[in-house]
Amino acid sequence: MTTQQKIASAFAFLAVLLVGVPLLISATGRSDLYYTLTSVALLSIISAGVWLTFYIGRINIGQGAFALMGGYVSAILVTQYGVSFWLTLPIAGLLCAAASVLIGLPILRLRGVYFAMVTLTLSEVARLTALAVPITNGAKGIVNIPLPSRLTIFGITLIPDFATLANPRLAFYVTSVLLMALCYLALYRLVNSRIGRICQSLQQNEELASSIGVNISYIRILAFAISSFLGGIGGAMFAAITQSMYPSSFGVADSINFMLNCFLGGLGYVLGPMLGTFVLYFGWDLLFQTGVFQLLIYSSILIILMLVLPNGLLSIRLPRQKQS
Amino acid sequence: MEQVIANGLYLGAQYALIALGLTLIFALMNVLNFAHGQMYVLGGFVTYTVYGQLGLPFPVAVLCSGVTLAAVGAIIEKFLFGPVIKRSAREESTMLLAAAIAFFIDAIILLLFGEKQRGVPKIINGVFISDIIIMPYDRIAVGVVAAAMIAAFVLYMQYSRPGRAMRALAQDRVAAQLMGVNVDRYSMIGFALGAMLAGLVGGLLVSITGVNSGIGGPISIKAFLMVMIGGAGVVGGAIAGGFILGMMESVGLTLLRNFGDVTYLVIFVLLMIFLSIRPNGLMGKPWG
Amino acid sequence: MPDILEISGLTKRFGGLVANNDISFTVKEREILSVIGPNGAGKSTLFKLIASFVSPTSGEVCFRGQRISGLAPHKVARMGVVRTFQETTIFKTMTVRDNVIIAHHLRSRANLAGFFFGTRTAQQDEAEFARSTDEIIDFLGLGAYRHELASNLPHGHLRALGIAIGLATNPQVLLLDEPFAGMNHEETRRAIEIVRGVRERGVTVLLVEHDMPAVMNISDRIVVLNFGQKIAEGTPQEIQENPTVIEAYLGAEDEALGI
Repeated sequence: MTTQQKIASAFAFLAVLLVGVPLLISATGRSDLYYTLTSVALLSIISAGVWLTFYIGRINIGQGAFALMGGYVSAILVTQYGVSFWLTLPIAGLLCAAASVLIGLPILRLRGVYFAMVTLTLSEVARLTALAVPITNGAKGIVNIPLPSRLTIFGITLIPDFATLANPRLAFYVTSVLLMALCYLALYRLVNSRIGRICQSLQQNEELASSIGVNISYIRILAFAISSFLGGIGGAMFAAITQSMYPSSFGVADSINFMLNCFLGGLGYVLGPMLGTFVLYFGWDLLFQTGVFQLLIYSSILIILMLVLPNGLLSIRLPRQKQS
Repeated sequence: MEQVIANGLYLGAQYALIALGLTLIFALMNVLNFAHGQMYVLGGFVTYTVYGQLGLPFPVAVLCSGVTLAAVGAIIEKFLFGPVIKRSAREESTMLLAAAIAFFIDAIILLLFGEKQRGVPKIINGVFISDIIIMPYDRIAVGVVAAAMIAAFVLYMQYSRPGRAMRALAQDRVAAQLMGVNVDRYSMIGFALGAMLAGLVGGLLVSITGVNSGIGGPISIKAFLMVMIGGAGVVGGAIAGGFILGMMESVGLTLLRNFGDVTYLVIFVLLMIFLSIRPNGLMGKPWG
Repeated sequence: MPDILEISGLTKRFGGLVANNDISFTVKEREILSVIGPNGAGKSTLFKLIASFVSPTSGEVCFRGQRISGLAPHKVARMGVVRTFQETTIFKTMTVRDNVIIAHHLRSRANLAGFFFGTRTAQQDEAEFARSTDEIIDFLGLGAYRHELASNLPHGHLRALGIAIGLATNPQVLLLDEPFAGMNHEETRRAIEIVRGVRERGVTVLLVEHDMPAVMNISDRIVVLNFGQKIAEGTPQEIQENPTVIEAYLGAEDEALGI
């Protein structure tokens, strides 16, 4: 695909999402789909973060902790300090990035299963901390978070107050899709630039990368920080949409799901996490019909999938790119 | 003070058993058994059924837990982990499989036993009271049994033929194969053994703390913490990790009681600092 | 010619094993110096110490008067001391061209953000890297494989690629770890030409090798190690006539021959 073709496809995709889908929903009256699709968009942002850590050769099962942290940062700033939601979005991301730098410094040199273990415990510890620390209001969580307020720059209203909108769901949907597009665009650019090559060199041979002057620790921490940033903003948006935040909002199971999203979508492709999130989320949702058997069937399908396709979904779709 | 130590020891013995199971599986197959906590819960529920519901003697119930989990472990290894490990070059696949299995066992437990907390009648009534410590008899009994099991396990691994085969396998897979160790068979035995240990602890502890379907995940995490502290893949490390975590929990619960449940946050921060200095845990095989 | 590298009292212990014991020598700028010795003499460890992939137990390595031992390896590479690897170490899933382009990392004037946003400096860098890459690829005779996946290269060319990667960093000192290993006569002859060419470009070359004829042919000076210690230093002529060296090698050869 040439660059022009890629740009055209991207625009077409966005058009479908931003225009086609709302038309479809208003025609069929399924406005509950807004929440579903918004969730998919946000979860794919968070999963993209996990994908980036895969890209530097680490298995990250701790993203739930950063989503949780991002959500709480936004919730606390909005409810207790009256900060505009739109400002809390980048703040949440940056604070998560900062936290990940602190955590990353000792653990990023670990590899494989060891690194995965540490990040897994991070997910659980985040939940326990949210339960224990007073500022997060413990198990009761933070509720009744007001809808995002107006965003004005120089007196011009860029984004109206969500409370004034007739259909805030549509507004959240549009915001999330745009955010997702932005994130994936940035990720795509990152991966195809020199930085992406450097990460690849890290992944393949750390010693050789060192010998050509790549500062391995720095790159790893940078990637991890960006990854957590994505987790943070995803979590913050979730807080705004669900208007609540509980210690159980993001936990170990979610971290595992983010990893699953990446894996299923294919670890070699930037759009992998988006596809994986979509499939898994709708898969899980569809299974809701089965009631108590939902988890059983879901996990069985996953097990079968692992047995049959140990290398992810997209690896079968684009065989010509499957070189490794 | 002595009370704290006594509690720590008691907890430590249980935790060490859990960690031993996990580390054995890790040493043999380089697989992190995410479902370890769920196996513990399953063991608890089996004992609950056999001892609590059917009224059979407690030791029989615990034995049933062990056997059930050994069977479950063997099946999982032979039909799930074994094939996937052979087919896939990526570590993520086995990890995701482990996660999926954990979900699966969680689902089964929910379906069979529901969400409620279950308990069983005390196995020994009464409390040991002295000037320095107070400890219910059943805890002492369970602690002693756990310690005995740890000793038995260590001896088994050290001196028995399967034990030696498994240790060879853990050290160097290829060399072990060349020496005639049936890798497939011993992987299965090892996994079954690891699962059995988890089941046994579950069975023992259901008599004291009860069991419910939701604690599987957190227990897996605790097991990982122990293995990280003590070092993955090493028997001594698992035991050390188990006792250290037990002790830290005991200390934390007593000292930090006023600050809310920050015990685990503190443990985690300490772990971060510890891992910066010693990334492989106390005795671990170099990894990474 | 001034000294570009100064190795003083370099010792490395791994637990009880002393891999390098009190090794000292200097390297003159733009010379080709070979380090030889029987197997297990400690040559690889010496290389790792010089490029700072390993820290010395005692002693130091100085580059143009500045201490480099103990610094992080990527920093030492930045300063101009670059190492190639003993195994055929390249980036397997990238093309030959990409392998060399990415090795230009050290020459970039733009920073990471610049590369992300595609600033003018970054674009200039990319253009320069492309030009330099093509030049280096041609210099090493890899032109035909330019767009080939690195893992598909035949063995001799993998070595050349390793050297290309080293050259791309614009080094002042290049450490070649067994560059002639596994090569036949013809390939070795070509490789010797390449190493000479590298020196012509102004690079000081340090090499570890087993191929004696090649070493004698190409080196200005030779350092001989045995059992972790330096036993001789001098021109190829001097080394060939040095009784200690002959004994060290004869003894080893006897073992190899089973006498």
